[in-house]
Amino acid sequence: MSQFVYVTYIYATPQRVWDAITKPEFAHRYWMHTNVSDWTPGSRWEHRHGDGSGKVLIDGEVLESDPPSRLVMSWARPDRSKEPSRVTFDIADFSPGLVCLTVTHDRLEADPAMASSVAGGWPKVLSNLKSFLETGACENIWLTRNKEG
Amino acid sequence: MTAMASSAFVYVTYIRSNPETVWQALTTPEFQRRYWFGMHQECDFRKGSPWKLVFEDGRVADDGEVLESDPPKRLVLRWRNRMRPELTDEGDARCEMTLADEGGATKLTITHSIALEHSKLIEAVSGGWPKILSSLKSLIETGEPMDSIYSRAKA
Repeated sequence: MSQFVYVTYIYATPQRVWDAITKPEFAHRYWMHTNVSDWTPGSRWEHRHGDGSGKVLIDGEVLESDPPSRLVMSWARPDRSKEPSRVTFDIADFSPGLVCLTVTHDRLEADPAMASSVAGGWPKVLSNLKSFLETGACENIWLTRNKEG
Repeated sequence: MTAMASSAFVYVTYIRSNPETVWQALTTPEFQRRYWFGMHQECDFRKGSPWKLVFEDGRVADDGEVLESDPPKRLVLRWRNRMRPELTDEGDARCEMTLADEGGATKLTITHSIALEHSKLIEAVSGGWPKILSSLKSLIETGEPMDSIYSRAKA
């Protein structure tokens, strides 16, 4: 699989969805990890572990940034052992009060293990994001299982 | 090496409820009408029973048969479109729904497939499922379905 696409509809404004993805104080509540950058094209971004260690799990470059509707970044293993992939967030006003969020993770040809990992991970992250924005619920639905595993 | 020609759409969502509640939402007409574009299903959800997806005005959108039913964990439907001739001509598709308890949430996986490359039916349902399942998740978690998805789709 060279591309993973996930579409979800969320009761929120595009700005709230943008903030939930790009601001660590929101992301750590539903994603377990945080995304840190100044979010300007050409800047580095880091996907940091939410356990307080600050460990960088993924990093890359901000390729496009058009708040609050589009964010594109490269998605790389910190050791650069494989070619980076790419993540695109498209945040569209679908109807009043309702956002259509499309996440496209592509350029995964060179890293099948990453392809498999993100195909399992995105539905969890994006389900949690939707719950977080619609209900405020932020307990992590898969953290317990991962700890057990 | 010959892989069988096929098209498939797979969607996973995690809903903060138990599998019994999600199963009930998937199989009860009063529930279905609230998140499935006003449509409902006519079926007793027993293996071998006929299945129909019906518009508010009574027109049949899709029909088929229950191939497997194991409440509240697994439901498999034979699925044929009855609205668009080019989709009807593609023949029977298969829609598999699995529900798994994942500690505080139900992992719902929909796999809609047909033994045909570049299927127009699968293209059509690929647009529909994210709306239906986003609305279902909101309805169960907040009590509010996504009426604005529905009104825009009707317009």
